[in-house]
Amino acid sequence: MLARSCLRSTRAVGAARNGVVNATKRAASSSSSSTANASSPFGLNLAGSAATAVAVGSMTWYYHLYGPELHAMTPAEEGLHPTKYPWEHIKWNKTYDHQALRRGFQVYQEVCASCHSLSRIPYRTLVGVTHTVDEAKVMAEENEYDSDPNDEGEIEKRPGKLSDYLPAPYKNDEAARAANNGALPPDLSLIVKARHGGCDYIFSLLTGYPEEPPAGAAVPDGLNFNPYFPGTGIAMARVLYNELVEYEDGTPASTSQMAKDVVEFLNWSAEPEMDQRKKMGMKVLVISTALFALSVWVKRYKWSPIKTRKLTYTSPTGGRRPGRH
Amino acid sequence: MGLFDSWSDLFAAATPWQEVEAEAPKEEEEEKEDVKESKDDGEDGEVEEEEAEEEEEEEEEMVDPKEKFEEECKESKGCAPAKHHFEECVERVQGGENKKGPSEDCVEEFFHLAHCANQCAAPKLWASLK
Repeated sequence: MLARSCLRSTRAVGAARNGVVNATKRAASSSSSSTANASSPFGLNLAGSAATAVAVGSMTWYYHLYGPELHAMTPAEEGLHPTKYPWEHIKWNKTYDHQALRRGFQVYQEVCASCHSLSRIPYRTLVGVTHTVDEAKVMAEENEYDSDPNDEGEIEKRPGKLSDYLPAPYKNDEAARAANNGALPPDLSLIVKARHGGCDYIFSLLTGYPEEPPAGAAVPDGLNFNPYFPGTGIAMARVLYNELVEYEDGTPASTSQMAKDVVEFLNWSAEPEMDQRKKMGMKVLVISTALFALSVWVKRYKWSPIKTRKLTYTSPTGGRRPGRH
Repeated sequence: MGLFDSWSDLFAAATPWQEVEAEAPKEEEEEKEDVKESKDDGEDGEVEEEEAEEEEEEEEEMVDPKEKFEEECKESKGCAPAKHHFEECVERVQGGENKKGPSEDCVEEFFHLAHCANQCAAPKLWASLK
């Protein structure tokens, strides 16, 4: 491309030079009264267009060389970028749908909790969000926790309380890896904040398992093909299938419905303060608007005598100049 | 604090979304139970309908709306080029026309097709989900 543009430009320059020479010859031979100015526009045009061609050519070449973005990774390594879904709770004046949160918690407990922990969520935080106090207490009591040492120093088990955290499926990370073919199921408490694409990514990941990997794609043993996972090989198999969960509110439990609910629940577990935060933001906006308006009014009020005063200068009458006196 | 509370009360009154109570008072619970009972009473008719619907769904083996919309979108005009490229790639790879060259996969073509279909299906899907 460079060679071509260079050739073209040299040719153009040559043509321009010829033109200029011809033009001057013509000007010299024709002994008319017209000066060189009258005949030169043709030559000037040629020279100008040649310069433009050179400039455009070199810019094109430069852009061709350095313009395109370089990617270190192939699209497969990058993973398919998730589609943006119009989540209701992400809008700045909307809260979580708490029915969806309740359904999402059900999905988490019945499906995800067998491998993924949710270690930062105690039962008390569910109160008033997804469940009532009594429901939360009943759920907490279903689990056993270590109690304080008794008189003999033995640690006994006691039923859970509201202040206990959701139990983890494995004792530690090593146990989790050993049970899952070496892959560690991440803790889901902050997973929405911890992944690029947040809700969209997790929803796409949960629902995006194709029936079979595209032709030619290499899927290593023990991994599953998921286009959204960077590298496309994910250890987690597809877990959500239609009607896997029976919702207590009768919502049809399609795969995408369950994924949507559980993602909204996970977003709540990552940002439990969101409802409150948006409410507080609204208060801040309203109050600061009022205070700003007040301050504008006060400023105008205080400045009004200064802004509206009139300075006049009356020169001293009479012929005498001041100073001579 | 008083000023702030009054503000928040005013605000809560003016905002369309509801305050979520942490603890449901007992009276309300009883009422709720009553409501539930009455709902149960009222639901008998609905339940039958729902059952009928469920039966229909069971017969059809509930289709995931996402898959349904994406299938439709893949067939749509907008995704025709991506689908064409993907199918061409699948044929090429499975036919083994380029055995001499390095092995090829259709992941990229699949990405383009899936991206197109998802983009097209997203608003429809959200309209259909609860």
